[in-house]
This record gives sequence, structure tokens and C-alpha cells, in this order.
Amino acid sequence: MKSALLTSIALLTLSSFAAAQTDSPASGPPATEAPATQTVAPEPSVPVEEGLAAWDTVYAVASHPRCANCHVGPDNIPVWSGPSYGARQPHGMHVSGGESRIGAEFIQCQTCHMETQTGEPHAAPGAPEWHLAPVEQQWIDKSSAEICHQFKDPARNGGRSLEEMALHVRDDKLVAWGWKPGGNREPAPGSAEETYQAIETWAAAGAPCPDS
Amino acid sequence: MELRVNDTIHQVDVEPDMPLLWVLRDELGITGPKYGCGIAQCGACTVHVDGMAVRACQMPVSEAAGSDIVTIEGLGTPDSLHAVQEAWIEHQVAQCGYCQSGQIMQAASFLDLHPEPTDEDIDRAMSANLCRCGTYPRIRAAIHAAAGKLRSA
Amino acid sequence: MSRAGTITRRTLLVGSAVIAGGVAFGVYAVSTPHANPLESEVGPDGATFNPWVKITPEKIVLIAPHADLGQGAAGMQSLLIAEEMDLEPGGYEIEFGPPSAAYWNRAQGNEAAPFMSQDDSIVAEGVRGAMTSLFKLLGMQITGGSSSTPDSFDKLREAGAIARETLKAAAAKKHDVDVAGLKTGKGAVILPDGTAIPYTDLAADAAKIAPVTGVALRDPSKWRLIGKDVRRPDIVAKSTGALHYGIDMKLDGMVHATVRLSPRRGALNGFDAAKAETMRGVARVMEITGGVAVIADNTWRAFKAAEAISFDWAPSDYPAEQDGHWDRIAASFTSGSLDAEWRNDGEVDTGLAEGGVTQVEYRAPYLAHQPLEPLNAVALVTDEKAEIWAGHQIPRYVQEKVAAITGHEKDQVIFHNQYAGGSFGHRLEFHNITAAAEIANAMRGTPVKLTLSREEDFATDYPRQIAVARGQGVARDGQVRTLALDIASPSVVRSQMGRLGVSVPGSDSQLPAGAWNAPYAVPNFRVRAYAVEGLAPTSSWRSVGASTAGFFIESFVDEVIAAAGADPLEERLRLCNWDVARGVLEAVGEMSNWGEELPVNKGRGIAMVESFGVPTAEVVEVTNTDQGIRIDKVWVAADVGRVIDPVNIENQVQGAVVWGLGHAMNCELTYSDGMAQQSNFHDFEGMRLYQCPEIEVRMLENSGRVKGVGEPPVPPAAPALANAIFAATGQRIREMPFNKHIDFV
Repeated sequence: MKSALLTSIALLTLSSFAAAQTDSPASGPPATEAPATQTVAPEPSVPVEEGLAAWDTVYAVASHPRCANCHVGPDNIPVWSGPSYGARQPHGMHVSGGESRIGAEFIQCQTCHMETQTGEPHAAPGAPEWHLAPVEQQWIDKSSAEICHQFKDPARNGGRSLEEMALHVRDDKLVAWGWKPGGNREPAPGSAEETYQAIETWAAAGAPCPDS
Repeated sequence: MELRVNDTIHQVDVEPDMPLLWVLRDELGITGPKYGCGIAQCGACTVHVDGMAVRACQMPVSEAAGSDIVTIEGLGTPDSLHAVQEAWIEHQVAQCGYCQSGQIMQAASFLDLHPEPTDEDIDRAMSANLCRCGTYPRIRAAIHAAAGKLRSA
Repeated sequence: MSRAGTITRRTLLVGSAVIAGGVAFGVYAVSTPHANPLESEVGPDGATFNPWVKITPEKIVLIAPHADLGQGAAGMQSLLIAEEMDLEPGGYEIEFGPPSAAYWNRAQGNEAAPFMSQDDSIVAEGVRGAMTSLFKLLGMQITGGSSSTPDSFDKLREAGAIARETLKAAAAKKHDVDVAGLKTGKGAVILPDGTAIPYTDLAADAAKIAPVTGVALRDPSKWRLIGKDVRRPDIVAKSTGALHYGIDMKLDGMVHATVRLSPRRGALNGFDAAKAETMRGVARVMEITGGVAVIADNTWRAFKAAEAISFDWAPSDYPAEQDGHWDRIAASFTSGSLDAEWRNDGEVDTGLAEGGVTQVEYRAPYLAHQPLEPLNAVALVTDEKAEIWAGHQIPRYVQEKVAAITGHEKDQVIFHNQYAGGSFGHRLEFHNITAAAEIANAMRGTPVKLTLSREEDFATDYPRQIAVARGQGVARDGQVRTLALDIASPSVVRSQMGRLGVSVPGSDSQLPAGAWNAPYAVPNFRVRAYAVEGLAPTSSWRSVGASTAGFFIESFVDEVIAAAGADPLEERLRLCNWDVARGVLEAVGEMSNWGEELPVNKGRGIAMVESFGVPTAEVVEVTNTDQGIRIDKVWVAADVGRVIDPVNIENQVQGAVVWGLGHAMNCELTYSDGMAQQSNFHDFEGMRLYQCPEIEVRMLENSGRVKGVGEPPVPPAAPALANAIFAATGQRIREMPFNKHIDFV
């Protein structure tokens, strides 16, 4: 059953909730400032250096075009970039995800992006619930430090704990598409399992963020 | 597999990954949705699935099963036109007409959610439908006209 | 060589072909009408007065022999007949009719005669007449060259008038009244007492009398339909999904096929279809000429099976890589490759010696046609006949091509022309027709629908010509003094006619079309055309030669005007030596309020090109934004002599501007490994709605010649845009597609 319209309403609600919870998500807090919402962390069981190295693995995924192209900013325009596209460009056909981030204002992402993709070269890729990440989760054009702070801030990560973030990255079907994008698209580095492990390691080290 | 198209139930025996477009055209003989590109570049195959515009060339038929599918034939007929079709006729939008089934289905779905679109909204919503004849100026005008009809209906 | 000398030599070249035809066929053949193909179609109770009208007791059918490719030819043709026949729109059916010599094109011969449109000298008119006779002798039924309207305008009104007067004569006889007292209206003859007798009731009587001849056509002041806002007859069907195109055809027991033909236009060395043959629904994989066909029970299954076949294609006989194509053109600006010197006014060499020469080179790439309905055809071959259903622009050659494959006589090949989802020149080719005929011939008794995948359609598209021009120009005292333009390109006409087995003598007037005939009285003005051999085969693409040569001349003229420091419109008007062309320039100047102050980031460009007898001027306004160039508005004025359907003409002109702009901005077809690199609309996008400007159209009727408008607004679009970008940014773009050099919003 195509539940896109229901989803669109749900996401619209979620989006406005998130916007209300977040101050100017486009600019974000300074990289050095510890997020106010961070709860008291248990004693790290992994050295900080190891945690930072693990974060590098996570950042390599987050900043990869397969993920960053849809973690875009408040212009709501998905991006086509990466080795299969040449120069970075806005998504073709003048589409916009809109503030709903699912295209509800104009043309829904799921008009072309199905749950499963046809596999035809150059066709629209598909995965369940195709949509833009919420605007407060902008990754494109963000530094490793900015993404890191955002990643562990429940106000900007969909209200998730670090463990929930790790599970989300491991189990979400749209996220999983990034490692199996089909066509001649370059997959995100590593795998869902490796990224899950990296998040676990990073969290165990106290979720340290790089300086830049 | 059971498909509900334009309020009629059809039984089809096809591969689950056959695109809905080819089930409609070759198995059911419903030819309003057109084959133009096969890769979601032109929009000529657009149908409604549970009310939402969908590129039938991209949707495996297995995803469409259980849903309410409407093609241009089910949107309106010459005797009972949808407001978008009325506007399309009044503005004489079509040249070759091959893309227009898809344009109309996309516009109808768009106006359903956005009864008062601006030109910029229309540009965003309709630029994934290709018209090689270049009827775009008339498409813009017809969408505004259809929006007016729908609002006053 | 003097201008007169140039023309004399050209005349001889063209004339010799015509004279050869005249000797072979004689004067009698030229003056004898072709037989009416409808005679055999109407029963004993039906009447046909000429090849365009048939009436039975049930209905009135008007024949529209020019193919409807979306340009509205069916509506235009039927409207002309209905005007004189006093039929109401909707009161008749329209059929495309059978292929027939009776439908020979009376207008396209004019275009094949290499004279400027404004040239009505005895020599020009004589050659036009000779070319027209040749078209008649050949029974050349063709839709193309924007000739449907000029071909039809008098002919179909006459057909309608003859039908009307013959029906009146039949009614007079039947009711024993004086024909002078009869009127007609709403598809009926009206007796003096006011009784209306429907034409359908008079069919049997009308069939028994000879058609009335020598009927005078109505004065335009009496027209009810021509020039009025009318609804095109297919608009409801096209807005409800009810119109059936060739690709929608279905016959009982039909199988679905697709093909892979050599993407290098060479031989098939071998293929492996082992996997494809085992796939669900696949009935057969067979080798056909130049490729392989897959026959299945569903189009998608045929497509998937074709994807599973591996091929070994022989190399192309043109350069495998794109650079090799450009190199071959660059090497063709030689006396040995000179096709013709089309114009040589004044003393060009002396003019260039004055110094201060603007020296530039322009480039235009190959382009695909790719109408939205992919090529297809349905064929059914039996021992008795071969039937074929497809949209096509040259029906009698379809018969000939199919007959050659199936072994039937040409009149045993029954061709049913179909509404087409666009063409732009694509449906002048035959590879879909011949492939369908080959498959159906191998499966006699089984109807076969062949559909090309979009990717296959791209791979086998005979593209628009690639072209390069080199210009040298001199301005002095604020005026354009000297223009010398050399154009090198493959000959589309020879490539295309060669595939029909016709060798065309003389020079190809499409090589410099739009450039050599620019109506500018530049004191020293020379245009030469060079024919490049050994490139990819090419085909007519909406506006043909003028799509490239028009870009060259109007970009070049603009550059030399800029060098002169003159205003682009004022200098063109000063140079213009044809009042009809002057009219369209003045019109776009007025429409756009040319010369008004613009914000610093905006710019306007103008261009005017005459093609197919229609001078067309366009002004394009752009804004240089931080996301790139945005086209805000286009003003178009064209002189077609007579507007028949004002709504459709506006739609056609807007569409032609979109076509011209979109391809100039965004598209090229390039070759690598002997194959086209572009495969679908993701890398050959044309224009989408968001890039489409507002387009304001004004049609003028001053030329005195009725002309068609499908193509003429294409050529000025690209140079007007390039000139506007220069005005807004100072950057000259001399190569299409422009997006290689500048970003668009």
C-alpha cells in the first residue's frame, strides 16, 4: 500500500516540531561548544584517539555524496554530486523537497523514487520512504566537527540516543540504500555494519568530536 | 496478482518486477499512460496510485498491488471531464499530445494539494514532465485556469 | 565570380535534373492528373469528387494526406476543405488516406529551388516550376519542409469547392430546381424552400454526375473558419488519453518485438542470445538486416531480453571518436570540398584588406531528434498483402521499402498512417519500418508490433548535421561593410536521399540555408559552403540547414555590428533589402520596446533568419543571475503570408522557440567508440518547463505567399539567445550547446 500521503502529513508534523526545537539549524552551534542537551556520559571505555578515529569512519560515510546529497540545507534542494555526476549540481528537473522534505509542496520524491528500483541505468534510484533528511540534519557543506556535534545532539538527530543513532544507521532501509545504490553510482564507504560498529566505538569513547 | 485500475479489478500473471506501465499497456490494454523514457525522465507514464502521482515506468507492479490505481482514462472522459482536462482543452495545450496524459495526471495530483500555485510552484512541480513539442507556456496557463475551476467548484 | 554568374551556374546544375526528368516523362505526364485513390474505397452509394473528399450515406470523410506529427496538419487540411464545403467542425471524420501519387506535394519543389525567397525573377520562377513538375512526376507525397500549408491552401479549398458545387448540381437534378437558387450550410444543400438535404443523402446522386469544375474560391471576407479561433479536432482525445498513436495499436494475436541495430551503422559480426532465448515470454530471437530482433509476448519482456544479448558490432565507417569528426570538418575548408559559392556581392577580398577584421569560428554539434513517442511500427504480412501501421512522413517510400522486403507488389502494401507523438524530422527515416517488415515477413500471418526502447532510438537516430563556420567581417564608419562566411558541414540532403536510393545532382542548398539568403545589402558579402565527407549519416532536423547556418550568420552579423558600434536592430534594418523581412524586424522591435533602458544585469539579443520562405525575427531577454543566465522573455514576429489557425500557429511558434533555445542551451550528440554517447533524456534534456520563458508571438501577413511555420522560428532562437548573453555579460558564445560555456538557471 502506497502510504506516501500519510507519510507526508506525518513528516510535515515532524518537520515543524523539529523546527520549533531548533535554533537556526543552518548555522548550527560553534564547533567547540558542547551541546547543552548532552547528558552526563559514563566513563569512556575506549581511548579518545580511538574514538576520534572511529568518528572519521562515520564522517567518511556522512560526507559521502550517497548520504550528503539528501542531507541538504534549508534550500531543500537535493544535490547531484559524486564521481558519477561530474561537477556538483542541483538535482535535475528543478525539483525541491520543500519544507516538508518529501516534496509534498511540489512533486513528491516518491513520484519517481519507488521502494525498489528498476535497475535500469540512469533511472531513479529507489528505497522505502525516499525523502530528504530533516533540515537540522544538514551534512552537505558541513565540517566533520559540525556534523559530529549535530550527530549526538538529540535536538538535531531526531531525538535519538547514541545507541539509537547506531541502530538507525545499521537498520534503516533508506540509509542502507547508500551502500547498495545500484546503477553506476559509487556506494558509501564501508558497510552498514562497519558504520554501526564505528558509532559504537565512538560512543564508547565518549563521542569525542574533532576540532574542525 | 490483483490490480485495481480505474475502479475495475484485474487479475494479472506477471513478474513482480514488471513495471506497472507495461502491465497497464500490454497486459490490460490501457494505453493512456505512455512509454517515453523508462527511467523517470519524461513523466509520460504518470498515473495516480492512492491519489499520488507516480511514474508507472518506475513502479514494480508488486508495489502497486493492493493500491487504487487511476490512469488518465479514469481521471475524466470526454463526457465527464476533470477540471484539469477542461482547462487543457480550453487552452488547446496539446501539440502531438503524447506527453499530455502524464502532464495532466501530474497537474491534477499537484493541484489536489496546492489549489493556489504560483508560477514558481508550477515550475517546481511540472519540470519533471518533458514536452518535446514545447507546450510549456500553455501548460502554465492551463494549470492556473484549472486551479481557478477547482477552487470555484 | 559575379552574382549573376553564380546563379546561372546553379540554375544549370538544378535545371539539368529537371530536364532529364522532362525528357523521360514528357509534357503529357506533367499535365495529366494522378488517379483518385478513393475511387476504389467508396461503394456504389458513395461519392468521391477528388482525392480529398468522400461521402457515403453514413458520413463525410475528409482526407488529410499530410501526416499529423503533432503540428496540427490534420486539422489544418480538413479546415480548408470544410471552409469551402460549408461543413461544421465535428461534422466530418478525418482520415490520413492511402499512399498515393495524387497527394504529390506542390509546395516543396519551391524550396528545393535554390533561389532567395524574395526572388521572383523569370529564372527563379522557372526553376521553381520545373522542380514542382518533378515532384508531380515522382508523385512525391511528403510531409516536411514546412510545406503542408502552402501545398494545401489552394488545393484543398478547391477540393472543397468542387465537392460543394457537385453536391448542389446533384441536388438540383434530383429536385428539379435551378442550381443558382441553391445554398449550402452545415453539411447540407438548402433548397429554395429552405429544406436542408444532408450531403450524405446526396452521395449516391452526386456519384452519378461528373464533378463540377472551374469553381471560383470564396473571397477571404466570407471565411467562417480560416483565420478564426477554432478548436483543433484532436484536442479532446489528446486531453483524455483517448487518442491512439502508432505505439498504441493492437491487433488480435499480436506479438511484441524490439530490435538492436548496429549503433555503429555497420555490420553485425556476431551475437550471443543464449540467455535471452530462455527468458520468460520470449518467443524468438532472430537476426535481421544489421541487427537482431527479439519477439516476445510483452514489450518489456522483449526489452529485457534484448538487454541480455551480447553483440559484436563491426566498426563504424566514420571516425570512432568525436574529435575525429571535428578534425574532418576543420580539414574540409578547401577548394576540393567546396560545394558552392552561394553569394559573392561586391569585392570581398578588397573589403577584408581594409583591415580591422573580426575573425571568428562557430561550432554546432550533432543533435538527436527524439520525439517523445519512440519509433515503432505494427506489421502484418500474409501471402496476399503486407499491411503496416506507423506514423510516417513519406508514405509511398514506406510501400516501396516494405515491398522490397516482402516481395509483394507496391500496391499490395497497405500503409495506414498513424497520429505521431512528434517527429521533428525523425519519421522521415525507415529503420523501424524495414525492421518490422522483416520480422513480420518471417512470421507471416502473425501481427507484430515493433517498439524501439528509448535507448535504441537514441543509438539509431540519424542526427542533425554537425557544422563549423569561419567568418571574417569588417566594420567601418559605424556600418557593416564586409562579411565573408565559410560553412562546412555534411550534406543532409545527400545523406538522407542516398538512403532512399536517390542521388541528388547539384549543390545542397541546405548547407548554407538561412545564411546565403540573409536579406542584407552588405556591400561585400560572400557565403561559401563546403561539403564534409565521411562523417556520421545525418537527417533532417526541424529547420534542417538553417538550424546551424542561421546560428552562424546571425551571431556573426551581430559581432560585426558590435565592432561597428552600431545598434543591433538599427543596423539590421539599415541593411535589410526585403520589405517583408523588414516588417518582422520592426515588429519585434516594437513588441519588445527595443532600445529601452534595462537594468545592468539584463541584456537583449535579436536575430532574424528566413527559412522555408518565412522571415522570422526574435528578441530574447536574459538576466545574468548569480545562479546563471535566466531567459525571461522572447518576442517573435514571423510573416507566413496568411494565418489559417491562429491558436495552433501560436502554439507552433512557441514550441519552435522552445525547441531552438532548449537544444542550443543543453544538447549535443557526440560519438565515442563509433557510438552515440547520449542514450536517454538524462543526458539530452532539451528544455524543461522551468527554463521556459514567456513567449509573445505576432504573425504578419504581408508576404503574399502562404507559408508554413513549423520550422522557421527555430533558427533565430539560438543566435538571439547568444546575442542576448553577450549584451548581458560581454561574453560571446560561439559554440552550441551554450552550457559548455555558461551556466543557465
